[in-house]
Amino acid sequence: MLRTACVHLRSPLFSRTLIAITLSWLGIFVLTPHLLVMMTSVLTPDTTNFAVWPLTFEAYTRLWEPLYATVFLDSLYLSVTATLFCLLLGYPFAYLLSRLGPVWRNVLLFLMIVPFWTNSLIRTYALKLLMGNRGLFNDLLMGLGLIDSPIQMLYSGFAVTFGLVYILFPFMVLPLISSFDNLDKTLLEAARDLGASAAQRFWRIIVPLTMPGIIAGCLIVFLPAMGMFYVADLLGGARNLLLGNLIKNQFLVMRDWPFGSALSVTLILMMFLMLAVYARANRRIQRKGGLDDANFA
Amino acid sequence: MKKRNLLLASLLTALSTAALAEGKVVVYNWSEYIPDGVLKQFTEETGIKVEYSTYESNEVMYAKLQLQKGKGYDIIVPSTYYIAKMSQEGLLKPIDRKQLTHFKNLNNSLLNKPYDPGNQYSVPYLWGSTGIAYNADVIPEGSITRWADLWDPKWKGQLLLTDDVREVFHMALKINGHSANSSDPKEIGQAYEKLKTLMPNVLVFNSDAPREPYMAGDVNLGMIWNGEAVMAQQEMPNIRYVYPEEGTIFWVDSFAIPSGSENTAEAHKFIDFMLRPEIAKQCSQEVGYATPNRAGMKLLDEKTRNNKTIFPDSSVFETGEFQSSVGDALKLYNDYWEKLKTGH
Repeated sequence: MLRTACVHLRSPLFSRTLIAITLSWLGIFVLTPHLLVMMTSVLTPDTTNFAVWPLTFEAYTRLWEPLYATVFLDSLYLSVTATLFCLLLGYPFAYLLSRLGPVWRNVLLFLMIVPFWTNSLIRTYALKLLMGNRGLFNDLLMGLGLIDSPIQMLYSGFAVTFGLVYILFPFMVLPLISSFDNLDKTLLEAARDLGASAAQRFWRIIVPLTMPGIIAGCLIVFLPAMGMFYVADLLGGARNLLLGNLIKNQFLVMRDWPFGSALSVTLILMMFLMLAVYARANRRIQRKGGLDDANFA
Repeated sequence: MKKRNLLLASLLTALSTAALAEGKVVVYNWSEYIPDGVLKQFTEETGIKVEYSTYESNEVMYAKLQLQKGKGYDIIVPSTYYIAKMSQEGLLKPIDRKQLTHFKNLNNSLLNKPYDPGNQYSVPYLWGSTGIAYNADVIPEGSITRWADLWDPKWKGQLLLTDDVREVFHMALKINGHSANSSDPKEIGQAYEKLKTLMPNVLVFNSDAPREPYMAGDVNLGMIWNGEAVMAQQEMPNIRYVYPEEGTIFWVDSFAIPSGSENTAEAHKFIDFMLRPEIAKQCSQEVGYATPNRAGMKLLDEKTRNNKTIFPDSSVFETGEFQSSVGDALKLYNDYWEKLKTGH
């Protein structure tokens, strides 16, 4: 059985079919929609037909209106804060996991993944209940005597950030774990032998070597955070806080598809920009003595 | 259970099932607007399956219908001004009165209105009002009487507004002494300026289930629909409903059949079923809005019929205004609306 499977895998027909399927899947469901969005972004808005000729870059010039700059900055602020908190919580967590034995590690990973089996929309509603003026958080704080009257947590930037951190946390942890796993422990021993203090070992060995994981984690958290409109709708009070809310409203309320598309294209461009930064950072780290084979030659 | 933001999911269901239409009716309605038991009873009696999904604003419903060229749904429930807009744009199918045996039950005063002369395209389902709600545990009884009271700086970051452009503009237009159905760009602009000064007081927009933030204690003052207030009062008797002095908002939501409906006969059966007196009564009682069904109203228990939150005194009608079409000015409203919600 296994032998025949191996033969199949090696046969050119099989691999070609596999590649063809993958490519057409990507073509139909990834490339085409993106091309459509890009095309729509340079058409003229029309309330009945959504987007019509002629070509225009008006949607892109509108991006520079001060009104949208504020949404953009708000959105940036919330997403950056969420990413930083994810990193601050995720880094020690990933480090801990990498130091644990396989059993505990799997248990903790499992516990982190379990909530993912529940739809994030439902979990966001649950957060709403927890954060309300009569929710569990306020009850707890008041029960402990820390506050006298409930704090307004819900419908604020804090609530949105909290929701984003909660939902995106695993996306930060997973790339970090693989970075920590790749960390060569002998390097740390060598550093200790050569007299490096704990802080020095952390900043000069651990952090640079896990940098690819840090950057990957930050990217995977940051971009979705900009677009998670339902978190801002439910926890932020349905104002236009995130770029995602603005995009959603262009399509559903304003019916200005070109502008909504232009906003989406902007998000995509930002992602490309950050990936480029990531690739460069990665190259630099490897040149400086990362885990690349070249450094051990 | 709320269905907000499951838009895509409901869209997909509607698309994928439209092809196999047989003995079913696809209903697209406001969230929490028909008691569950009613749909079940309809299926039990007629054998017609109901596929049900919900929206929380006219705009979202309209955008989806427009996108699908009127296909995918058999029953929608737009407010008056969207009936006018959608029928002009050919998105609605004329309703065949002959198939509606219970049409005669309807109250004449809510029929044959300018938004749909002769009720060619629409059959009123429920009507209601949008006013102010406050929690009398926290806010002194009787201290809130006007829309303008919401502008008091002491409510900074505390109010709930409905997530509905026409309703929010209604407040400012009325305070400025204009018609809430104004299509004059100058008056709309003034209303926008007025609303800008209200925004610092706003904590949350909610048209999904506006009663919930009140019941959760997150909000003690703001706008609400009367039916939501009625539902909230069942659990929190201290929720007060106020018809603001400047004039309350009245609206009618009507059944309509989209032009691309593939189950027109079933859709008519559904509307006719909803027009039965006992069904109209049940809907009104459970959802908390007023029924335009005269025969149904007679069946309402006395408590409901005398509930001023559902059926206001005639004096309220003197200042209040029924929403009607504003034509192309709707675009202007929406532009300002976006600015308001972005907070500038």
